[in-house]
Amino acid sequence: MDVSRGASHSEAAPSTGTTIVACTYKGGVVFGADGRVSIGNYIMNRASNKIAPLSEYIFLCRSGSAPDTQIISDNVRHYLHQASAESGEEPSVLMAANLVRLLNYNNKDHLVGAMLVVGWDKHAGGQVYGVPISGTLAKEKWAIDGSGSSYIWGYCDSEFKEDMTREEAENWVKEALALAMTRDASSGGTIRMYTLDGAGVHHTYIPGDQVPQFVGDLPFPTGNPGGAVLGSAAREGGMVIG
Amino acid sequence: MSIFSYNGAAVVAMAGKECVAIGSDLRFGVQTQTITCDTPKVFRIHDKLYLGLSGLLTDAQTLHEKLMFRHNLYKLREERDMKPSTFGHMLSNALYERRFGPYFAAPVVAGLEPDGTPFLCGMDTIGAMEKAKDFMITGTSPESLYGMCESMWRPDMEPDELFETVAQCLMSGFDRDALAGWGAVIHVITKDKVISRTLKTRMD
Repeated sequence: MDVSRGASHSEAAPSTGTTIVACTYKGGVVFGADGRVSIGNYIMNRASNKIAPLSEYIFLCRSGSAPDTQIISDNVRHYLHQASAESGEEPSVLMAANLVRLLNYNNKDHLVGAMLVVGWDKHAGGQVYGVPISGTLAKEKWAIDGSGSSYIWGYCDSEFKEDMTREEAENWVKEALALAMTRDASSGGTIRMYTLDGAGVHHTYIPGDQVPQFVGDLPFPTGNPGGAVLGSAAREGGMVIG
Repeated sequence: MSIFSYNGAAVVAMAGKECVAIGSDLRFGVQTQTITCDTPKVFRIHDKLYLGLSGLLTDAQTLHEKLMFRHNLYKLREERDMKPSTFGHMLSNALYERRFGPYFAAPVVAGLEPDGTPFLCGMDTIGAMEKAKDFMITGTSPESLYGMCESMWRPDMEPDELFETVAQCLMSGFDRDALAGWGAVIHVITKDKVISRTLKTRMD
C-alpha cells in the first residue's frame, strides 16, 4: 500500500501494493493479508499489519492508500463501539460493512480504499463483504483485493469450494497470498492470517521464510537465449557473440 | 514513473585481496509484475572482466551486445583481451556518444588488471566515470545498497570472505527494494579462476 504517491510508482492504479484474501468456510471465515508497505519501490515496512479490528469479531482488511484506510477503520471502530454500547449486543458484520461503504461512497472524491469487511455474528454466521473504491458493497462467498489480487483470480476461481473445512480454507488463503506475493512486486514480506468461527479468533503469523515457495531449483542463469552454446565458446577463450 | 525503475535491478561489485566480486539480482519484471527470475544483470566480457548494468533492461542488453562487438574487434586487432581500465574508458566514451539520446543504463565494471590489481568503476547514464578501491553499486534502491556496503566492506578480503560480504550486501539491499530480488548470482574473479554461484533468496 502506498503511503505517498511516489514519483517512481505508477499513479494510474488506484489499488496499490497489497494482497488481501478472505473466504467463508463451513463454520466461519478465514482471511489474510501480506505485509509489505511501499513508497514507490522502497519497502518502508516489510512486516506490517493490514488487518484492523473493528470489533471483537469483525475485521477490516485494508488495501489502497494507507492513511485513508487507517482513518476509515478508526472511524468505524469508534461508531461500532458506541452502537454496541447503546444496543447491548455485539455489532453485526453487515452494519460494519455498511459503515465502511458509506464512508467510501460519501467521500469518493477523496478516499482511495479498497477493503474487505470480514467477521462473524450470531445472525448470519461468517460473512465476507467486498467494499471496493467508490462505495460498492458486495456480500460474497470469497473476496480478494489489492494490486496482488490480479495474479490470483484464476487460482481462487478454480480452487475455491463451498463448505470447505477449516484446514482447506486456511490453505486456500495461504496459497493465494503466497502466489500473489511471488508475482506482485508490491506485495510480500509476511503473511498474517485470521480464522473466525463462533468460538473465537485465531491469529496465525507466517514469517517470510515459511511462506510457501513456488519456484524450484533453476538452472544457472546465463541471461542469454542461446546460453548453452555461447557458454562453451566462452570457456574455450574464443570470440563470444552475446 | 521513472524509466530507470521500469524493470528494476540491484548490482554490487567489491574489491578484495587480488580478487573482485560482482553480483546482481535475477528478477525480470515490468513495473510491479514479475515475469521471470533467471535474468542476471551481470555479463562476462572476458575471464578477468565483468560488466554489471542496471536500468532499462532492453538498453542494458543492447549496450552489452554493442560492447561485446567492440571487444571482439579489439581482440582481433590487438590479439589480447582488453584491460578493464581501457574497457571502462571505452564504455564511458560509448555512453557519451549518445549524450542527447542516452542509453537508460548505469554500468559497473569489475575486473583484474593484467598485473592482478582489482579494478572497479561505475558510471552514470551518460558516462561520467568514477573509479573506486572498495565497492561500486547501481540499481533501483541505491541507498539500501550503499548503506550495506559502507558498513560491511573492509580491505584485503580473501575470495570466500568477499563472496559472503557481497552476498549479504546484495540480499539485504534488495530485500528493501520492491523491484529487485527473486534470487541472485555472484561471480568471484581471481587470477586463475572465476567462481560463479547462485543464491536462493526470498521470492517476493
